[in-house]
Parts: sequence; structure tokens; C-alpha cells
Amino acid sequence: MTRATVYTVELVWPDGGTETVRIDGEETIVNAADRADIALPYGCLYGACGTCTAQLLDGTVRHRKPPRALKQRSLDAGYVLPCIAVPTSDCRLRVGHGIQAEAVGTPWK
Amino acid sequence: MSTDEPSPSAEQHGHEHHEAEGPGYPTPAAMRTEGGREKTAYVMAPRVGMENDGPDFVGVVDLDPDSNTYSEMIDAVEMPNRGDELHHFGWNACSSSCHAEGLSRQYLVVPGQRSSRIHVIDAEDPRDPEMVKIIEPEDVFEYDLSAPHTVHCVPGGKIVISMLGDANGELPGGFLQLDQEDFSIDGRWEGDPGPMEMNYDYWYQPRHDVLVSSEWAAPNTYYPGFDLEDVEDGKYGDSIHIWSWEDREHLQTLEFGEQGRIPLEVRMSHNPEETQGYIGAALSSNVIRFYEDSDGTWDWDVVIDEDPREHEDWDMPVPPLITDLLLSLDDQYLFFSNWLHGDVRMYDVSDAANPRLVDQVWAGGLFGDRQDVRGESIRGAPQMLQLSRDGRRLYWTTSLFSSWDNQFFPDIAEEGSLMLKADVYPDEGRMELDEDFLVDFGDAPGGPARAHEIRWPGGDCTSDVWQ
Repeated sequence: MTRATVYTVELVWPDGGTETVRIDGEETIVNAADRADIALPYGCLYGACGTCTAQLLDGTVRHRKPPRALKQRSLDAGYVLPCIAVPTSDCRLRVGHGIQAEAVGTPWK
Repeated sequence: MSTDEPSPSAEQHGHEHHEAEGPGYPTPAAMRTEGGREKTAYVMAPRVGMENDGPDFVGVVDLDPDSNTYSEMIDAVEMPNRGDELHHFGWNACSSSCHAEGLSRQYLVVPGQRSSRIHVIDAEDPRDPEMVKIIEPEDVFEYDLSAPHTVHCVPGGKIVISMLGDANGELPGGFLQLDQEDFSIDGRWEGDPGPMEMNYDYWYQPRHDVLVSSEWAAPNTYYPGFDLEDVEDGKYGDSIHIWSWEDREHLQTLEFGEQGRIPLEVRMSHNPEETQGYIGAALSSNVIRFYEDSDGTWDWDVVIDEDPREHEDWDMPVPPLITDLLLSLDDQYLFFSNWLHGDVRMYDVSDAANPRLVDQVWAGGLFGDRQDVRGESIRGAPQMLQLSRDGRRLYWTTSLFSSWDNQFFPDIAEEGSLMLKADVYPDEGRMELDEDFLVDFGDAPGGPARAHEIRWPGGDCTSDVWQ
């Protein structure tokens, strides 16, 4: 019997504040944060809507479903969807409500 | 007497010349003249994508000018989950069931656009609504549908909801039918969907055996935000669909192309004799009139054509972005909002094919002269509209959709959006911003919220269909 590995995920907010959740096995980052009373943004919970979009600063995650809300250019830039993402190493994620718009782009100069 | 009273007596008043006692009014004119002044508003208030995330709620706003809490939010029905994105909502019954005894306009069907969760709120006491039922997303996904949008009650004891995606947030969407009694899922409304893939809003008129549906995009295209590349790739809609109401079959596609990019709200004339309506093509910023020809097929014309405008802080010319439109109950006036430019327009449509601009109110947006009301900065711009039954008060909210707000008007995510009002003078063909009226959803208990669709107890200009 193998023991699931526990990874530490550090969430970095826009003001520089950080929070840490420990994730065991197949739990998504949004679920683990919810359990710890950390209000990560989210919407659909199945990778379609992008409300939870975050940027991976260090480490690796695996999407449990196709990350439909992210275009290839966003995936290439390190954007991930915490509602369907499980960590595959210790990692650091930039989180907050504004990252979705940043990933899609805005018409403002 | 106001239809906002808890007892159904006011609504029955509309039926004093009729033997049957059902919800609503026998004609649009009866609702307009006998409906009384709106005293309460229900306002969808999502918190998705806010800086301080929290559950969405349905806000109850006091619109009784004699009340000491006038223009304040006096109650809220909070959702049990986060992430729903409340957007549009509708009643269990309206004037389409006017002659159905035993029915009353009592329950609000409140879908979550992002979560695909559907809530039912009992509003028997208009000032004390309560959640009575929740349909969980998994039960909706079973029908390979997601992203619930427009809710209409329909004759025959049913409720039909337009659904924008399949269970994965991809195309095609469809229509979900609920039972009017217990709100259980009946299944899909449509039989043969033909070539229809995208869905958004719809209107129906049984007298002419027609349902007209419009197109936004696949949820996984519009949910994450607006990307011009998706328009170039043909991922946004440019057509409307004509269905047989009775046979539930797709009959005809009206393809607008460049002239009708992103056709959103569909409003047919309230007068059930009429075989025409209007649609706002958001991105092209055209109002398109659709109508039935003498041979029974449907056709369309652009009747209002707006131009984009340069803005020094933008990379591209700014389209006005027509995001909502509505018709007064007497079908005399068409109002629509330009969410990016920042104005609400009022057109005389008594000559239906030749709308005439009669007035315009600027408030917020990229070009509004006025950027504050009662000292509060206008975050966002005119968006979802609702008109009083008598056509004398136009209300609107300023948020569009969480992810699009966050791209175009990011302040809303921090401070919430607003509900504003203009006084309308239909006899004079003009309107004026009410500078004393402001509901600031930035002050909502529990943290700022966006404000979206507005309805009042007793029916309004976008909920009822007369058969």
C-alpha cells in the first residue's frame, strides 16, 4: 500500500500576503483552500469558466480535466485552474480575482 | 393598490372582467394601467470574481417612495454556495397562464450561470422571500446541458430555461424544461434542434407558433472573458433561430454576419397580435428587427446602426456594446443600453420598422459626461434595464458579467456596481436621470456585489408573454 504524498501549496495574494494549504492525494487546490476557509475565487468547478485562474510561480500541478477555460498561450505563460488542479510537487501560486482578466487580456492600454 | 402586496388580490384585479383567475393580466394594457406602481425590486447580485469573494444573493430593494427605506436594499436571499454567478431569472407563472386557475406568480427560478445550479425562491411575501428548492449542477449535467440563462414560464404547466452549453461547457446548448408544480426536471424542451448550436436568450409567442432564440457563444468561450481572437475565429454568435413553438422544431436560421455579431436579448412586441420583435447585436451595436413575412417565413433588417468611437486609453475603437433592450408595455418605446459608451437610449418605435431616437441619458461608461450620482462614482455603465409597468420609470444596473466586468470596468470587482433610475415622460418622449436615486451594491451587507437583472413582484416588461 502506497501512501499519498502530501504537498504544500503556497498561495500568494496581490498584496503580497501568503497562505499555505497542505494537499493530500487527489484533492483540488480550490477544495483544499475551501476546507481551510481561504476564499479563492471560483465559478464552475469543472475547468470551463476561468474564474479561479491563477499563475504557477514554482512547482507543478496536474489538471484533472481539460482546462477548457485557458488558451494554449495562457497555459504556456503558466496560468492554471485551481478548481481542477492537483499539485504534483510543492508549489507556489499567484492567486486573486484579477488574474482571469490578466490572462485573457484587456483593451486598456 | 400595488401588485407588491402579499395577497394575490391585486393580480386578480386585472381579471375582474374575466371568470378565470390566474396569474398576471389578460392584456399588456391591463398590466400597464392596472398593475400599480412597483414597490419592491428583486435584483440579482453576484459576488463571483469580486476582490472579496462570497456567495451571490438576490437583493430586495425598496422602491416605495413613501417608505423611509426607499432606494435601499432591505433584504437579501443569500445562496448556499459560492461561484454561482446569478445572472437572469424568471417566474414560475406569468400572464401566459392568465386563465389557468390555481396558479399564482409566487416562485422565482434563479439559475447560476457558472455553477449550473438552479434555485427556487418563494416570494409569496414580496418583502420576505425564502429559498425553497435547489437543483444541483449534477442533476442538470445529466441532460448534457449547462449554463442556464433565460427563464420563462410557458403555458401547460412548464418552465423553460435556455441553456448555453453541454455538460462540458461546450456546444451545443439547448433548453431545459422544469415542471411548474414541483420544479423537477422534465428533460429537454426541444425536439429537433436542427443546426442550432449556440444559445442565449429567447422569446416565444404561442399565438404565432414561434420561439425565437439568440446566440452568445460556448460557455468555455465567454465564461473566461472577452477575447477578440475568439470573434475572429467565429466562436461568437451572429444568428437567431426560429422554432415552431408547438412542434419544438428548428425551422429557420437568420444569419446576420458582420451586421449582427453577438445577438443577445430578444424582445417581441407585447401585443400578441404582432409578429415582430427586436434584438440587440451587442458587438456590432446594431438593433435588428425580425418579423414574419406573408409567406410565413421570418426576415430581418438592421433598424438602428451605431458607430464605434475612439478612446485615448484603448487599443481599438470602442463599440457602444448594446447589452440589453426592452419594449414598454404599450410597444411604443424601445430602450437599450450601451454598456461601454455609457448611455441609455429611448426610441419611439410606433413605426416599428423606423425607430426614431427621442432621448438619451449618459451615466458612467467610457464617454459619459456624468461619472457620479449622489457623490458616488458610477462603476460600470447602463446595462440590465427594467421599466415600470406604466412606462414612467426606467431602472438599470451597471454590471455585465463578472469576467467581462473585470476586463472592462475592473473597479466593480473592488467596490461593487450600482442600480440607477431615470424618470420617463412617455407623453413628451423624454427621460431624465433621477439624481436622488441610488442603490449602491458596494454597501451590501457581507461585502460589495455586482447587480444584474431586475424584476418586480407582479410582473414587468421582460417577463410576461400574452398568448
